[in-house]
Amino acid sequence: MNEPISILHLILGASVVVQIVMAILIMASLVSWIMIFQRIFVLSSIRRMANVFESEFWSGNDLRSIFIEIESADADPIGIEHLFYSGFKEFTRSRQQYGTQAERIMQNVQRAMRVALSREEERLEASLPFLATVGSTSPYIGLFGTVWGIMNSFRGLATANQASLSVVAPGISEALIATAIGLFAAIPAVIAYNRYSAQVEVIMNRFEAFSDEFSSILNRSIQNR
Amino acid sequence: MPKLAGYVFSIFLAVLLHGAVVGLLLINWQAESSEPTRIEPLYISASLIRQNPIQIRRREEMAAKERAEQQKAKEIASRRQARESVLANKKLVPVETTDSTQDQAEAFTQQAPMVSARQEPQLKRQLEEQFRLQMEDELTLAVMEEQERRKAVTDDEKSMAFVAQIQQDIVSNWSRPPSARNGMQALLRVFLVPTGEVVEVVVQESSGNVAFDRSAILAVQKAEQFQVPAVAAQFERRFREFTVLFRPEDLRL
Repeated sequence: MNEPISILHLILGASVVVQIVMAILIMASLVSWIMIFQRIFVLSSIRRMANVFESEFWSGNDLRSIFIEIESADADPIGIEHLFYSGFKEFTRSRQQYGTQAERIMQNVQRAMRVALSREEERLEASLPFLATVGSTSPYIGLFGTVWGIMNSFRGLATANQASLSVVAPGISEALIATAIGLFAAIPAVIAYNRYSAQVEVIMNRFEAFSDEFSSILNRSIQNR
Repeated sequence: MPKLAGYVFSIFLAVLLHGAVVGLLLINWQAESSEPTRIEPLYISASLIRQNPIQIRRREEMAAKERAEQQKAKEIASRRQARESVLANKKLVPVETTDSTQDQAEAFTQQAPMVSARQEPQLKRQLEEQFRLQMEDELTLAVMEEQERRKAVTDDEKSMAFVAQIQQDIVSNWSRPPSARNGMQALLRVFLVPTGEVVEVVVQESSGNVAFDRSAILAVQKAEQFQVPAVAAQFERRFREFTVLFRPEDLRL
């Protein structure tokens, strides 16, 4: 009785429902942390690539040579390269088709770039909804486990003939673990969601600005002809 | 395949982080809960026991012993009285006898050598015997006195414990009215029967607040029965009737 109650004993001694809740929450926490780490890598690599590409783009190199370089790479272009690649591809194709009809060419180019932009947004925001879900629901799941556990321990108290704190305390303690795990899962998920959605917004603004600039450059090149 | 590598690496990091958290929790948890301070509730358990004959006999023996001691004390007292009267006579006797031969000698320590010198062994032996008896009697009297004193001390201590218990019982049953203020005090006189049951409660000094007085009376009445010493003398001395002072000291009003 006097030996310390280890957290492991509490978890193993919990009722099945509470254990299931704990398992769900631990899984949610694990997956959300995987997402968090993976997002760090994805976002930072996209930002780095954008930096490299933009410096190359504004260095005054021939756009065609950049295009060929991207096309010759074996991986699919992502991020800002994807925007440039689809825009320039559409530009060359439309110019062959429509010649000097600047408006039609620009319409097609802008449409292609908008499609690429939405693809990129999709890529950036992947797994953010999951983080949001974990952040908003896992406290409730944990609370459910806690309420269930406390319900059980009070039911046990009703049948015990000698009601003392030491009869209910372990049950409540084990039930509260569920809430603790829920919060443990939710807090990082909410923080990560807010942070990443802000970062995605910044990157998307940058992409939109780039696509506008790029289309104006292409437009100018048609007019100058 | 940098995408897959990124996933694998992040899975690794996430698992590592969770493992670290669980490990820390396991270590800290044990250290924290190693010294729980628990206040044991006061249980009063009552159980029916049959008195076994040995105990009864022992008690009887004890009573007999006590009676014998009392008798002995009485005897000693009477013997002392007798001796004193004898001594008073003796004082006269040796003075008379020595008067005819020599003189002096008032205490028997001095008397003895005198008498022995006068070759009266019977008288000497008698004196010695008396001296020894007197010493013995005084010793037993002192021992008994000491025992009595010790008994009185333990009785007092015991009744202090009962008083504390009664206080606690009353306080736990006392619900102060909202109109209670610091400085109010009500003095109640409580009458008990030897089983500890409350037979009567009267207000001896009112606090001036009817609700406060009533709450105090209710507190005693709700307690119904107090634990009192089983020894009748102890009960009669302190618990047959006593006064309780109610003061809302711990109120911050």
